[in-house]
Amino acid sequence: MTLLGRLGARARTVGGLLRHFAHRRRFFLVPFLVVLLLAAILLLASGGLAYVAPFIYTLF
Amino acid sequence: MAAVLGISAYYHDAAAALVVGGRVVAAMQEERFSRLKNDPALPRQAAAACLALAGISPGDLDAVVYYENPYAKLERVMTSMARDFPRTFGQFPRAIGSQLGSKLWVLDQLAEAIGVERRKVLFTEHHESHAASAFLTSPYPEAAVLTVDGVGEQATTALWEGRGAALRQLGAIDFPHSLGLLYAAFTAYLGFEVNEGEYKVMGLAAHGAPRFRAEMDRVVRLESDGSFRLEPRFFAHTTERDVGFSPALEALLGPRRPPGRPFDLDANPDDRRAADVAASLQQVTEEALLGLARAARARTKMPALCLAGGVALNAVANARIAREAGFERVFVPPAAGDAGGALGAALIGARDLGDPRPPALATAALGEPFDGGAAADLARALGLTPTAPPDPAAAVAQRIAAGQVVAVCRGRFEWGPRSLGQRSLLADPGRAESRERLNRVVKQREPFRPFAPAVAAAAAAATFAGTPNDMTPFMTTVARVAPARAAALPAVIHVDGTARVQTVTADGAPDLSTILEAVGRETGDPIVLNTSLNGAGEPIVAGPVDALAFFLQHPVDAMLIGDALLERGAP
Repeated sequence: MTLLGRLGARARTVGGLLRHFAHRRRFFLVPFLVVLLLAAILLLASGGLAYVAPFIYTLF
Repeated sequence: MAAVLGISAYYHDAAAALVVGGRVVAAMQEERFSRLKNDPALPRQAAAACLALAGISPGDLDAVVYYENPYAKLERVMTSMARDFPRTFGQFPRAIGSQLGSKLWVLDQLAEAIGVERRKVLFTEHHESHAASAFLTSPYPEAAVLTVDGVGEQATTALWEGRGAALRQLGAIDFPHSLGLLYAAFTAYLGFEVNEGEYKVMGLAAHGAPRFRAEMDRVVRLESDGSFRLEPRFFAHTTERDVGFSPALEALLGPRRPPGRPFDLDANPDDRRAADVAASLQQVTEEALLGLARAARARTKMPALCLAGGVALNAVANARIAREAGFERVFVPPAAGDAGGALGAALIGARDLGDPRPPALATAALGEPFDGGAAADLARALGLTPTAPPDPAAAVAQRIAAGQVVAVCRGRFEWGPRSLGQRSLLADPGRAESRERLNRVVKQREPFRPFAPAVAAAAAAATFAGTPNDMTPFMTTVARVAPARAAALPAVIHVDGTARVQTVTADGAPDLSTILEAVGRETGDPIVLNTSLNGAGEPIVAGPVDALAFFLQHPVDAMLIGDALLERGAP
């Protein structure tokens, strides 16, 4: 699968998640989720960077 | 005519199932390929094997259906973590990390792993998958359907009404009130591995007395409407990483049993207490399930009941439901647990694309075929000497009648946790030493664990009360053994006088049926002891490499590999 295809798939999943939360009226979970997703992206993006690890470690 | 692949994964016992034109073509658990018991990983190999067996490519698939809703699952984890904060603080990184790190993206991962367009990857609901796996493979045009497990998205228990190909949910009980989690917490309390040791608890229960029933009534409350509630203070589903019970449970029942300590039910009072706790748990679980089943009968007025979900693997409880809940017929599929959700998801996908409901499931032999030629070649390469008996079934029967333990690898491996004749260890049920030898030497498991009989269906009723029935072909229930026959079958009768019997027909398990005919000619009794072909902690054997590895590592007397026979000590 191409990079564009992967991004499209991820966008479809994020869209599905937001639609689910909207349908269930779980709006209070959205900010919580955004912070967690950003943390997840940070973790993924910095997976091989040893100098970021101590800061991420303190988050959890 | 649609081709639909169903997938279950990311909890335990991942699986893939393929339905083409409304017909179940293949269904396999990933553990058989990865050789990791209850492997929860994405079932890449199982999916590829299903497609290869059908001779289709990923591009031919009309849909891939995941067995639960990943968004609803994330919602439940987030809300339960938030509700129980700050007690969930220790669990938070692992639970949320697992959801956001992989489980949320499972539909994307499936598209990539299988090689289909993302738009073709759909999902259904966890308990609907379970319900479909039972009802749509049952012989009933209409039935009440009960799904009971640990937890799906939010529900732990659900009642459905099945008519034709349609399923309509009538009610549900939500997390944290869960019979599956109740049984899992006590499995950990009794020193067994959760999601693996539950059937050991069921076996242990028969050795105990339910003297902790009053305490159990404080742990789980059975309501007059058939529902139930767990008392939260005894559990720690969201706050305790491994065991799922709180210190309050130990204060109520005494200290937990240390994992791994050998059992001595005769001499060790702590082990006697463990057996009594297991018996009390089993009794309250049976009564909870009976309450649910009676309520289902009263509400639906249906004559038949289908059961699915991990709790439906409790064969003893299933037998009580069949006897006491008021239904004329009861069906439990061979893969009632999470693996079965893959088949349910595929059946829902096929139905929604316009395909008809499949015929009733006649066999659990839905896995890869055994390549006897390759196995014989491998045996020779390993210095073994396979022979080619003119009548393989007769050769197996003669050895069983002589008291030998014979492994059998023929046909397509089984769907679900039970060996039903394609990958089985067979022995003489009339010799008590068969059980001792298999438990202690071959399978190296707890001495209280029972073995099951397989009997020709036509001869079953004379020995096993109420058989054959809709569950006995798949070994998902137990039956009382006729007292006059008990002395003849010491190796397969449980301490409570029952047996988890498999009734065998030529349609359901043709190879085992032929062997039973030959055993009948040898002994006059077409019954064998039948247990799964695996060592301690291993998945059941799948292909030739696993079969030969088993033969070399375990002291069985002979092994049938396709049409060839290997014998211990042969030159």
